[in-house]
Amino acid sequence: MNALTLWFHKIGSPPTFYRIAGALAPWCYGIALLLGLVALYGGLVLAPRDYQQGDAYRIIFIHVPCAWMSLFAYFFMAANAFVALVWRIKLSEILAMASAPIGAAFTFITLVTGSLWGKPMWGTWWTWDARLTSELVLLFLYFGVMGLYAAIEDRRQAARAAGFLALIGIVNLPIVHFSVNWWNTLHQGSTVRLMGPSKIDSAMIWPLLTMALATHIWFFGSVLARTRIGLLELDAGKDWVRKIALDQQRA
Amino acid sequence: MSSGSTLAACSALVRRDLTLVWRRRGDALNPILFALIVIALFPLALGPEPQQLQRIAAGVVFVALLLAGLLALDTLFRSDYEDGSLEQLVLSSHPLSLLLACKIAVHWLTTALPLIVVAPLLGELLHLADSVRWVLVAALLLATPLLSLIGAVCVALTVGMHRSGMLLALLVLPLYVPVLIFGAGACNAAQIGLPYLAPLLWLAAALVLALVLAPLACAAALRISLS
Amino acid sequence: MPPISDTSHDFHDRPPLLEARGLAFARNDEPIFGPLDFSLHAGEVALIEGDNGAGKTTLLRVLSGLLAPSSGEIRLRGEPLTLARLSPQVALLSHQAGLKHELTALENLRFAAGLHGQRKGLSPMTALAGVGLDGYADVPTRQLSAGQKKRVALARVLLAPVALWLLDEPYANLDLDGIKLVNRLLERHANGGGTALITSHGAYAYTSGTPRRIPLRPGIGHRQSAIETAAEQVR
Repeated sequence: MNALTLWFHKIGSPPTFYRIAGALAPWCYGIALLLGLVALYGGLVLAPRDYQQGDAYRIIFIHVPCAWMSLFAYFFMAANAFVALVWRIKLSEILAMASAPIGAAFTFITLVTGSLWGKPMWGTWWTWDARLTSELVLLFLYFGVMGLYAAIEDRRQAARAAGFLALIGIVNLPIVHFSVNWWNTLHQGSTVRLMGPSKIDSAMIWPLLTMALATHIWFFGSVLARTRIGLLELDAGKDWVRKIALDQQRA
Repeated sequence: MSSGSTLAACSALVRRDLTLVWRRRGDALNPILFALIVIALFPLALGPEPQQLQRIAAGVVFVALLLAGLLALDTLFRSDYEDGSLEQLVLSSHPLSLLLACKIAVHWLTTALPLIVVAPLLGELLHLADSVRWVLVAALLLATPLLSLIGAVCVALTVGMHRSGMLLALLVLPLYVPVLIFGAGACNAAQIGLPYLAPLLWLAAALVLALVLAPLACAAALRISLS
Repeated sequence: MPPISDTSHDFHDRPPLLEARGLAFARNDEPIFGPLDFSLHAGEVALIEGDNGAGKTTLLRVLSGLLAPSSGEIRLRGEPLTLARLSPQVALLSHQAGLKHELTALENLRFAAGLHGQRKGLSPMTALAGVGLDGYADVPTRQLSAGQKKRVALARVLLAPVALWLLDEPYANLDLDGIKLVNRLLERHANGGGTALITSHGAYAYTSGTPRRIPLRPGIGHRQSAIETAAEQVR
């Protein structure tokens, strides 16, 4: 066994991962919060007004990073589900299932901010725009994975079944995107493009990227925290969990 | 000792499932009645103006058939799971995916095909345009096997649960979105005089892909659920 | 055709028909049974003994290949096996009989014969007669009593061209005649070089010959050695 696999095995063992995740998660939250505040200041205060959309466009500093995250979380979930199904690694099962609600939350924020943005732009809270529709389907896919995971009694079997569904979803996702785009052109001719090919001012781009970085780090902090809880639940009968419980009781 | 050929196993399975449907032939009418009632609700809700109904006819028929198919999905593995014959299928020495493909085929033949046969009549209730009728039938012929195949994978994932109806809808419907878009889209394109062949070809391509992959995925999902 | 009396000695020279090495199954990291070591030669019938929840049914499902063991291995005729190699060799009788109520007894068996194949010299009809159900061929399974359904399920096992029978509670729901029938079937199967593993609460033990006993107890740790000594004692 080479050093890398050994390292993976060590990290992958629940007690070790629990400890490392416990140490990392607060840092993730802290850095993400800091970066997020910087990005918000840059986006809401420093960035110039858009000549067409006025101040309304500033919601992209939330909307766009969340939209990226909604996809990123799904890929992260599917990749972990794949590892879990092929190599039957318990940690990957929990990582995949931990990322589902976070991804769903990002998708939900994307939809809400999209609809908030839609009000000044299109005059309605909701429009069947191709991107919003795809996001909506993505949200349903997340709900399906979470629902299936919650419905099966045996936790590991539940994680495997939900992970399998996540993998079917990942095949479906590009098809949904493609079909919704086709549907959109059939019904609306040309749609209003939110993010045109026009150049974006660099004063707008850096807060956007900073916010994207912040959401990624927040995502990992949140996944780590949720995975810790998942590990505790799954290994509730194991010695290392009992030891943690006893230590906490003593403290 | 002879363990029998795979062909014999498949034909035995097809014959058994067809016999079962025949013995319970009263149930086979239920999806059609359901679709009919759903269709009847639309004029009641929207008013009887023919122009308005004609505009939405193809889409409504499509959605009604999709929902009827969704309700029928539950019967795919339910009784086999409860009486233990699903276990026997898994234990047989023949490829599980092939056996499941046979089951799905019989299920499609007995639940979806009757719906497609009555689809033009259902369309007539909503004043479906003449130019759209056969496009609708063609779209349904390509789309419903896809729906059955995709649905079967999700049913396999929920097979051990007692009340899986709502959950099954939650799992299945997002996966049905592209099929619905292309199927109903072809009808809408035909209605407004646009070329409708492309979405039908997309459906056909997806069907070929699903015919190969879905039984394999279904077998894998079933093994997860039965473990 | 060798004389019947020789067969049992003959079979012992070959590798055991079924062998479990350190076989264990855990659900959610909760051990259900094992680690378990035993071997069964052709011509042997073993009784899996244990209280409710000791994992008898689970053991049979693992041995049939429906469940993957969490550790250990199963060998068939000396070779480690995969599900693909296993399934043509076992017949499982579980709590759910696997019968369709809308079909007649004969139709159910015909389907089983199509799915699993059939033993040389047997047909669905003769298998039905073999479990004492001649005359019931065309009765819908729905109208059969619980004991009669059990007999149909036994006929399915009898019909399957396999050496290894895994029977979960074969005596349940059966009357005295039925219990004798099961024992007779087991005896004939063993004499023909087959092997059977059966579970039972112990009330109606397999009486003919001296069945091997494989005790199952919940819990782990000391169990391995306990089972090994128990197995030694039986030998």
